[in-house]
Amino acid sequence: MTESVIILQNVTLRFPKLKGILSIIKDKITKKDTSFTALKGVDLEIKSGEVFGLIGKNGSGKSTILRVISGIYPPDEGQCKVAGKISLLAGLGTGFSGHQTGVENALLYGSILGHNESEMQEKLPEIIDFSELGSFIDEPIRTYSAGMKARLGLAVATAIKPDILLIDEVLGVGDPQFRDKSKARILSLVKDTSTVVMVSHSFALMKDICDRIGVVNKGKLVMIGNPEEAITAYYELDNGGTLD
Amino acid sequence: MVEPTLKVKVANVGSKPSSLKAPFYTIKDMFSNKFLIKNLVSREIRGKYRNAMLSYTWTFLEPALLAVVYYFLFYMLAGNPDELYSVWVLVGIIVWGCFGKSLSSTVTSLTRNRNTIHLVYFPRIIFPITSVIGNIVITMMSCLVIIPIMIIFDLPLTIYILLVPLSVLLAGFLAIGLGILLAPLNCIYRDVEHLIRFIVRAGFFVSPVMWTYEMALERGNFGEIATYNPMLTPITLARHGLEGRETTLPSEIIILTILFGIVMWIIGSILFERNERKAVKYL
Repeated sequence: MTESVIILQNVTLRFPKLKGILSIIKDKITKKDTSFTALKGVDLEIKSGEVFGLIGKNGSGKSTILRVISGIYPPDEGQCKVAGKISLLAGLGTGFSGHQTGVENALLYGSILGHNESEMQEKLPEIIDFSELGSFIDEPIRTYSAGMKARLGLAVATAIKPDILLIDEVLGVGDPQFRDKSKARILSLVKDTSTVVMVSHSFALMKDICDRIGVVNKGKLVMIGNPEEAITAYYELDNGGTLD
Repeated sequence: MVEPTLKVKVANVGSKPSSLKAPFYTIKDMFSNKFLIKNLVSREIRGKYRNAMLSYTWTFLEPALLAVVYYFLFYMLAGNPDELYSVWVLVGIIVWGCFGKSLSSTVTSLTRNRNTIHLVYFPRIIFPITSVIGNIVITMMSCLVIIPIMIIFDLPLTIYILLVPLSVLLAGFLAIGLGILLAPLNCIYRDVEHLIRFIVRAGFFVSPVMWTYEMALERGNFGEIATYNPMLTPITLARHGLEGRETTLPSEIIILTILFGIVMWIIGSILFERNERKAVKYL
């Protein structure tokens, strides 16, 4: 396990600000750069077989790093190289349409996640079984409760194993029983997938499963270390924030 | 722990082939994402007619009702048009509707799907493609209204009837080039979709929807000006096809229209691929 499967080199990502006509002209004249820098010079190498965690405050750029890795935002500066098929678990049930049935939505969501028809047809019985929806699976999903939708989303999202799994805070959906089941499912997926990058606020879980953790603050990756070190460093950010 | 299997090649995230190749590789993307496109199109169509008692009947009820309104309007203004006039208006509304709806839904395709764009990556050309395919399918369903019309007006069934679906395809194709050109821009400034809504409405009168190619020819110069409008070709071809006769539209106009569509696709797909990544940051 020596090969790196994710390499971020000096990745900088800026978000432009939406401007009216007058302020565009003003900024052109004064040559002011008003864009918001979401990531500043992030360097990161993740090796094959590693479970890597990212922690940081809200808005620090953890999710943005995952989105860069999954290709949603290409970096403005630097490079991001990835080897293998990536799957990002975030916002379970993206693209669900309320008036189509559970089965149709499972196929739709699966195809949005990049799976092909034969894969999905093969996994469909397992998805239906795991989501515990019973006869509701043939009802339009506007009749579902929020928890039922989340269960279906999770069942589809975790059905097919990618080479690299990115998890963005999707643990803890549904009722307590299902929450345990979903946690077990994600953990087993984490074990089966060679490489995992996850963002979570539940530090106890992160300590358990991560090999290394990176701390993100204000768009910078301020430190990478073993779980204990990183979590200590995270709390030190609050007391003075000397890590910059 | 699983042994690393690195048979897969390293991909540089965010790097794409040269955008000059976009007109070709986007077509390849379409074919490799068939299943996704199929599901997204069915979501779009089902979404449109959800909870409607008449559901898909609306696809042809809507243009039929509009045709009645425009027939009376024109009857009052111009008086006593020929008996097939209402049919020509209906055909015009259907074919123009395919163009107009395709254009406005392509332009808004990225902004409407911003939740999906934020959470997963797949070639984003899929969104406008899906919008156009959805509209073409809906328009094809509304073409079923032609069957009762052919019976009522005693129109002959000939091979030329195939011109009707082909015209619908052509109208959708003409819309996509302009649509994908403007879709990224619409992510930044929504002014684009307001402007397009106006253009679609104004284009309705400029294009031969309520008038026909033959009417334009009778007005001398006006007939020549009308040929500069690319939408003249699909609408006129559909009318001639329904009438069951060989088209009297000069073939150079037909060829020019198709070339226009291809050129718009080339320009549109290149600019779409070039701007799409910058544009989604504004969503």
